[in-house]
Amino acid sequence: MRKIVGVSVLFGVLLLAADVVNVYSHRHYEVDKKLYKDFYKKTGIKVNLIKASSAELIKRIEVEGKFTKADVLLTTDVGMLELARSKDLFQSVKSEFLENTIAVYLRDKDNLWFALTKRARVIAYNIDEVQPSELSTYNALTDKTWKDRIVVTKSTEVYNQSLLASFIVNYGEKNASLWAKGIKENMARKPSGADKDSLRAIAAGLGDVAIVNTYYIGQMIKGKSFSDKATAEAIGIFFPNQSKDEKGTHINVSGAGVVKHAKHKENAIKFIEFLASKEAQEAFSEVNFEYPVNKEAKTSQLLQSWGEFREDKTSLHKVGTKNIDAVKIFHKVRWDK
Amino acid sequence: MKRILNRYVISSTVIIFVLLLPIVSLFIYAYGGQSDTLVHLKDTALNDYVFNTLKLIFFVSILSLIFGVIAAYITVFYTFRFASIYAILLALPFVIPTYILGYIYSDILAYFGPVHIWLKDLGLIDKNFFDVLNFNSVVVILSLGLYPYIYLIVKASFLKSSSALLQPALSLGKNKIELFYQVILPLSRPAIIGSLALVIMEVINEYGTVSYYGVDTLSTAIYSTWFSLNDPKSSVFLSIIAMSIVFFLLAIEKFSRSNSAYKSESISKVFKKDELKSYQKFFAYIFLSIPVLFGFIVPFVWIIIYTFKYALEVIDEAFLEVVMNSFVASSFSAFVIVFLAFFISYTIRIYDNTYTKYLSKLAGIGYAIPGVVIGVGVLSLFGDIDHGLISAFGLDELLLSGTLFAMVFAYVLRFLAVGLNMTESSYENISININKASRNLGLSYWQTLVRVEFPIMKKTLFFAFLLVFVDVIKELPLTLVLRPFNYETLATKTYEYAANTMIQQSATYAFVIVFLSFIPVILSHSKNKEEDK
Repeated sequence: MRKIVGVSVLFGVLLLAADVVNVYSHRHYEVDKKLYKDFYKKTGIKVNLIKASSAELIKRIEVEGKFTKADVLLTTDVGMLELARSKDLFQSVKSEFLENTIAVYLRDKDNLWFALTKRARVIAYNIDEVQPSELSTYNALTDKTWKDRIVVTKSTEVYNQSLLASFIVNYGEKNASLWAKGIKENMARKPSGADKDSLRAIAAGLGDVAIVNTYYIGQMIKGKSFSDKATAEAIGIFFPNQSKDEKGTHINVSGAGVVKHAKHKENAIKFIEFLASKEAQEAFSEVNFEYPVNKEAKTSQLLQSWGEFREDKTSLHKVGTKNIDAVKIFHKVRWDK
Repeated sequence: MKRILNRYVISSTVIIFVLLLPIVSLFIYAYGGQSDTLVHLKDTALNDYVFNTLKLIFFVSILSLIFGVIAAYITVFYTFRFASIYAILLALPFVIPTYILGYIYSDILAYFGPVHIWLKDLGLIDKNFFDVLNFNSVVVILSLGLYPYIYLIVKASFLKSSSALLQPALSLGKNKIELFYQVILPLSRPAIIGSLALVIMEVINEYGTVSYYGVDTLSTAIYSTWFSLNDPKSSVFLSIIAMSIVFFLLAIEKFSRSNSAYKSESISKVFKKDELKSYQKFFAYIFLSIPVLFGFIVPFVWIIIYTFKYALEVIDEAFLEVVMNSFVASSFSAFVIVFLAFFISYTIRIYDNTYTKYLSKLAGIGYAIPGVVIGVGVLSLFGDIDHGLISAFGLDELLLSGTLFAMVFAYVLRFLAVGLNMTESSYENISININKASRNLGLSYWQTLVRVEFPIMKKTLFFAFLLVFVDVIKELPLTLVLRPFNYETLATKTYEYAANTMIQQSATYAFVIVFLSFIPVILSHSKNKEEDK
């Protein structure tokens, strides 16, 4: 009997001593899997993972409370990082590396969360129907010339929410509302599908321009699907709001924070630092077509080929607090009807 | 005598009460939800959500009834070449999750997708061809994916429509069509309505395809209220509306069942199947081929093609573990569910009153609640229990939260209705006199259950196991939110790619879902055949 107790105690100790970091993640990309392996090779810290949507993971951390096993929450959107912050689920992180690497507008002011990758929300156009010179700003798409020509996803897509939230921060709620209404009036079809479907729709001629995230275009160009490639060949990419008096192209981010009741805080910080490292950032850019937040990291050639652009540097912390207001505006203009 | 009866009623009550605890805690949780969110929804889109949901229920019900009932009728009462192959194929569309079906068709019909390329040179395509993401497509896709519930359950009921009624009716000179309307259909009404109830509940719960195809229903509202407006309370409130719709429909079902007067004493049936005449044969083939072709063959061929193309890319060292996880969780949950369903419906059978009837309706309510909402219910309840245990016994860890036990518990809560539906509609056709006779011969209720009722119900239980197994293996939202660390199932892996709009890469895991689901479908078929002989 004593032996059994001894052995199980030993096992218990081993389990506790095993170096792990427990991650709750909304990211479901292949590249992440590879990076977790690299992280293990480098540090000996094993990444344990639960993937679900951010809202669910936040609820789970809340319910688990003090006893949660989560060390890191990784989301695909700043609104969810802000939600977790407002529920007091994160703790402040002291990391010189992260503070030096990640620009101020890309993290929480108390370092409760950090953006890890950027995606630009751009205007894609059918190259046979639209000249880039006809395009300028997001707002110009509300003009009557675009009637029945715009394809865009539903209001439930978080990237639309962030885009509109940034307009609320930059131009006020009333103007944001007018924008949403204007786009609704110019839609070629009822919002549906994902960004890829919007691209397919404009390639097929159901509409002429689409509002999409850049990395979907990357996936289509680099993927194996013939239909995706044919679609990508039929479209061009335009970075809106580039003129001097404009704020720049909207970016949304994927990011992470250390959970307040994390049991492996040190490992959690190491993990986030690793994801912000040059090596990991280049993988995000190369494999998943996201823009790095670490300036040392090279942007992938494909992304470079789309050209440099000026991004909207409005503090994402502010944008993240306006997501719910954005959804309500979408509902009011009947975006999805 | 009363006491023995009560033992069954009490056990069933306790089982159902424990199962429903997460839902009770949801009601408590939702009480006093943020009313401004609800006011906002009422002012904006709530009416659309409800209206779209009802519209979708209506059209999917009609189409899947047409597919399901007629297919069951033809395959049970007529012989034709390839009949036994059709009998299997007709059941198969439901092994493909509806959300995968939705993705597959958007891929097949995409710009420069296979159909486009094929038709392009013929000049048959204009741009409206690509406009598939809409309401009508959802109706077709959901009907194709869901009619097998009706087909399978109604077929089982047709098979039971015993010679005791059919042969005399035939010898009275009734023709097959009259027979169908006047005898078989009324006899199978409980099965038809019961299986339709399952389809309707699936429609109410469906999230993947409706949201992808841009149709806003209560289910999408439940998700967006939680995920976009960050108000889980109001989201639970909306799911209570969804539940009320189901309750209302179940009330109609109960009403219709209480009118059914036919019950048969015998359970064996040997009746002669008719040959189809040549023109009938032609229509039969066409009719049976449509759902088989578009519900199964086309998507399955798609799945195979992309499995070959991407298997090496998406299979990693954890692949076998993922397959095992799915298989073990699904069979174990299905076993528990079938066991409980059998026990509960036996209780109702021997102790038939209003109380037990409502009890069984309550037991099935989990099926009407979106998985994601049940997820929160189970998460919250187990969290509360854990925190209670921690403070009572000074534990330093969560005991139940994030365990497989919590996940299987949620599966049982969610899918008990499927098992119950099968066992109850099957009992509708088996007279209680069998039970009484056995009791008169001196067997106890328990002995009767084991020695008399179980052999009669064996086939039904097997069907039930099959349906539940496939349902669980496809299950997604519950698994996502409740699973332990590093736990993947075939459904979560399929979703991982689909969610990232890498639908072609998801084919490999979808293939295994389909393959594993084949096993019980084919087993059940060969078992059927054996008993037919």
